[in-house]
Amino acid sequence: MLETVDLCVSYGAVKALNGMNLVVPRGEVTAVIGANGAGKSTLMRTLAGLVSPQSGQVLFDGASIAGTKPEDIVRNGLALVPEGRSTIPELTVEENLRLGGLWRSKSDRGASRDIVFDLFPILNERSTMRADTLSGGERQQLAIGRALMSDPKCLLLDEPSLGLAPLIVTQILELVSRLARETNLAVLLVEQNAVTALRVATTGVVLNLGEVVKSGPAAEISSDEELRHAYLGY
Amino acid sequence: MTNFIDYLLGGFSNGAVIALMALALVLVWRSTRMVNFAQVGQAMFTTYIALTVQQSTGNWVLALVVALLAGSILGVVVFFLVIRPVKNSDTTGAIIATFGVLIALQAGAGMIWGGDPEGFVPPVDNAGLEIGGRIWPVSLYDLLVLAVTAVLVIGLTLLFTKTSLGLSMRASAFNPEVARLSGVRVNRMLITGWAIAGATGAIGGVLIAPFSTISPNSFDILLVFAFTAAVIGGLDSLIGAVTFGIGTGLVISLVSGYSDSGNAPIVALVLLALNLLLKPDGVFGHHGSRSV
Amino acid sequence: MSKVEGVSKVESVSKVKGLQTFPGNRIIWHALIVGVVWLLLLLLNNNIDPLYSSYLALIAMYATAMFGMTILVGLSGQVSLGNGALMAVGGYVFALTSMNWETVPIFGWQWNAIWSMVFAGLGGVLVGGVVGGLAARLKGPYLAGLTLGLAVGVPAITNRFPELLGGENGLMLTVPYPDGGYAAAGAAASLDPGAEGELESTTDPGGDQNGELATDDQFAELDLSEFDQETDPDAGLATEDLLTDEDFGSGDQLADGDLLTEEDFGSGDQLGLDGTDIGTDIGTDAGTDIGADLNVDSDSLLDGFDSGFIIERWQASMAIAVACIVAFAALNLVRGRQGRVWKAVRDDPIAAAVVGISPSGSKVSAFVVSSLFAALAGAVFAQILSFIGPGAFGLGLSLSLLVGIVLGGRASLLGAILGAILLVWLPELVDGLAGERGWPEQITNNAPNLLYGLLVVAVVLAAPGGVTGTIRSWVDKARGKARSPLS
Repeated sequence: MLETVDLCVSYGAVKALNGMNLVVPRGEVTAVIGANGAGKSTLMRTLAGLVSPQSGQVLFDGASIAGTKPEDIVRNGLALVPEGRSTIPELTVEENLRLGGLWRSKSDRGASRDIVFDLFPILNERSTMRADTLSGGERQQLAIGRALMSDPKCLLLDEPSLGLAPLIVTQILELVSRLARETNLAVLLVEQNAVTALRVATTGVVLNLGEVVKSGPAAEISSDEELRHAYLGY
Repeated sequence: MTNFIDYLLGGFSNGAVIALMALALVLVWRSTRMVNFAQVGQAMFTTYIALTVQQSTGNWVLALVVALLAGSILGVVVFFLVIRPVKNSDTTGAIIATFGVLIALQAGAGMIWGGDPEGFVPPVDNAGLEIGGRIWPVSLYDLLVLAVTAVLVIGLTLLFTKTSLGLSMRASAFNPEVARLSGVRVNRMLITGWAIAGATGAIGGVLIAPFSTISPNSFDILLVFAFTAAVIGGLDSLIGAVTFGIGTGLVISLVSGYSDSGNAPIVALVLLALNLLLKPDGVFGHHGSRSV
Repeated sequence: MSKVEGVSKVESVSKVKGLQTFPGNRIIWHALIVGVVWLLLLLLNNNIDPLYSSYLALIAMYATAMFGMTILVGLSGQVSLGNGALMAVGGYVFALTSMNWETVPIFGWQWNAIWSMVFAGLGGVLVGGVVGGLAARLKGPYLAGLTLGLAVGVPAITNRFPELLGGENGLMLTVPYPDGGYAAAGAAASLDPGAEGELESTTDPGGDQNGELATDDQFAELDLSEFDQETDPDAGLATEDLLTDEDFGSGDQLADGDLLTEEDFGSGDQLGLDGTDIGTDIGTDAGTDIGADLNVDSDSLLDGFDSGFIIERWQASMAIAVACIVAFAALNLVRGRQGRVWKAVRDDPIAAAVVGISPSGSKVSAFVVSSLFAALAGAVFAQILSFIGPGAFGLGLSLSLLVGIVLGGRASLLGAILGAILLVWLPELVDGLAGERGWPEQITNNAPNLLYGLLVVAVVLAAPGGVTGTIRSWVDKARGKARSPLS
């Protein structure tokens, strides 16, 4: 579904991504893990169109999207849930969700909203309340919900565990994983918390200093002690 | 006491216009995080256009509509002139640029229409209404001003709270990045914000014109009042702009009534200074957060 | 002279603390530069048509205020529209103090003029300190808006105290011209209704020295009571105020005998055409430039003037004097440690705080300095106009100052001078063109401003450093260095 070929991204003189090759297939969760500064967020922002790559390709559904504007990339089915609580606190839950799919028809939005409320019932309960009244975990659900309102074919999740209790993170990620399987959604998950990520992912990709060190089935990665010590810190 | 009430009543329509100007300033601030000091210059220019239309067709409504359209267009033009330095993080330059536009607009108006003060004929009578055997300081025209302002404010509120466009604009103002990631064409929203602000200011200009004469510099003081009202209300807050716009109008009316009308700018200056000193985020504004 | 180029902000900020190479040398160098320029300007002044002298006076006056803008807007990064109001403060303080002082002639010159300027400067410092204290907490648009309010509000204050400040009509000033100044043919010319009792002093400058212009005899008879009442603008002319034949008929008004005639000038104890008196009056202190001028060029000065005094030249030399003194101060500040402090705070207040500079203190100091300069410029302006009123000091003036500094170059003193020249020259140019091509007045009056506005926008978009900044970046590029045009 989503592919990068020899992707190179630099911030000035700093090379954040150095010839990265990645494949994100549909129907499963692919986890990209690595230490801080490994280039994970850069990867996400480049895929979503917020950053332009120096060289290399980003292929979405076969077509190159490097250099396309983020608002157009979303409309084509690639949605990013950025790092941090990317909800707009001054808007209500309902407005945050609606925002995610404003260009779509009302009925389409309604269908997506049903999916979101099904997945995250708490959002339905608090739908008229301002987003800043939600807890951290609820806001993360809202952020994901907003992305889902665009009816994406591929979902990018940038460090959803940040600042959340592990239990909640696991719950959310398991829901996402289930969604991926059931709706044939491609999910790219970027995480510092490798344990949780590898638990829900099918494939694991280890990133270090902008380069892929190893990629393979998640179980393999998590059982590779040397790898874990060297790059994942445990 | 009757004096007090009279002054208050007399201040409402003035306050309404100040509210509209303050609204325009707030609209621009919310969308692009800058103060468009040229706003009153734009309003002055479009009011002259309206004057020309009214003088040639005798139709006030047409003049208002033309002003509205001209205001939107002018707002978009100024946006393009002034927004580029902001994009390059030269905020000082952006402020300077708005003043450059103001100067140019005033000079341009002087060139086209001359510097002599012109009178603007109101569509309905501007004399005080007689009710119950007493002449009140409120005229039919005052009521019209209040009505138009109310319609505009309600319309804008509905736009922002109920429509998709409004939601897009609010999101673009609160968090442009998240808005983009949600598929909102943020740049278009910014332009729309400036266009609406320009239209609002234009309407304000046409409404205030009959109260005195218009000349290229006659709106300068309005800028001070509108800015004061907008800042006191919190540059983020539409409600604040309207509330304190009307409030400023009332205060000025009281000041002019009880002392000299020349004192009004001094009072505004003092209010502004106090507010900036004590509550820099405004009464309705909160540091970091904004509200409709 | 140290320059900070191409280094990181933190480095540049820490250089501020460390670097103090031979400040004495630098000051001497600056004094030399200013001194040479001063002399050249004076030479220029005395050899050009008095009309151009009056332009020179205005340019010098604007430049004085602009130097303040360079510091405030350019180096300290605070966009302020208040300097017009501060010029008004300076002008009014000057007017009030010079009108109400006893003349203290020292070396035959009007010493109270200097004192009035000092007071004007003090007024500027005070008001500037207050405004600056408030402004230091404000960011960009809030600061601009507050100072905008100041620009519009301060002129309104003149209406609050009409007796003192003259209201809309302002105050007439008696300019403390030097000895023998302005005693042109027709003593009525020096009648100034706003300055009761001053009459003696202006026409009796340094009379104690050599007994020139034995004026007491001539003017003491003038009954000034008719004019007293006009100093209160609210009073308006009442019928008893009007001069009637009676007033003229009596011997205590100007009679033929009072008018200055050839005789008065011919005798040795008046201003003689040989210029010796002028020299003696003023030139005894060889240090004063005005004296030196008159000594050197008294012949040309006197051509065609019985009194031997050309007002425009005096205005220009006075304005130039003030401008050069201010320029010297500005040069030392801008190119010294304080200038680097201001720039450091402008560019990165947090880094500056880290190395021990107080950001708000620096902002306030910039305000105070620029207010001082503006006030002095206002005092000069008042002397040029012989008048001070709210009309000349409104929002338009503040905007002009901003325009000048932006077009000339925000952070450059040279830019300030260029801006001043532009502000005086462009309207004249337009007037000239208009005369040639017969443009209607509407166009001519507004054309300069239209140009200013458009140029300001163009400069901000394309050449933010103004003329000097752009030239500097060309030079730097040629040299292979990279530097922001705004530094």
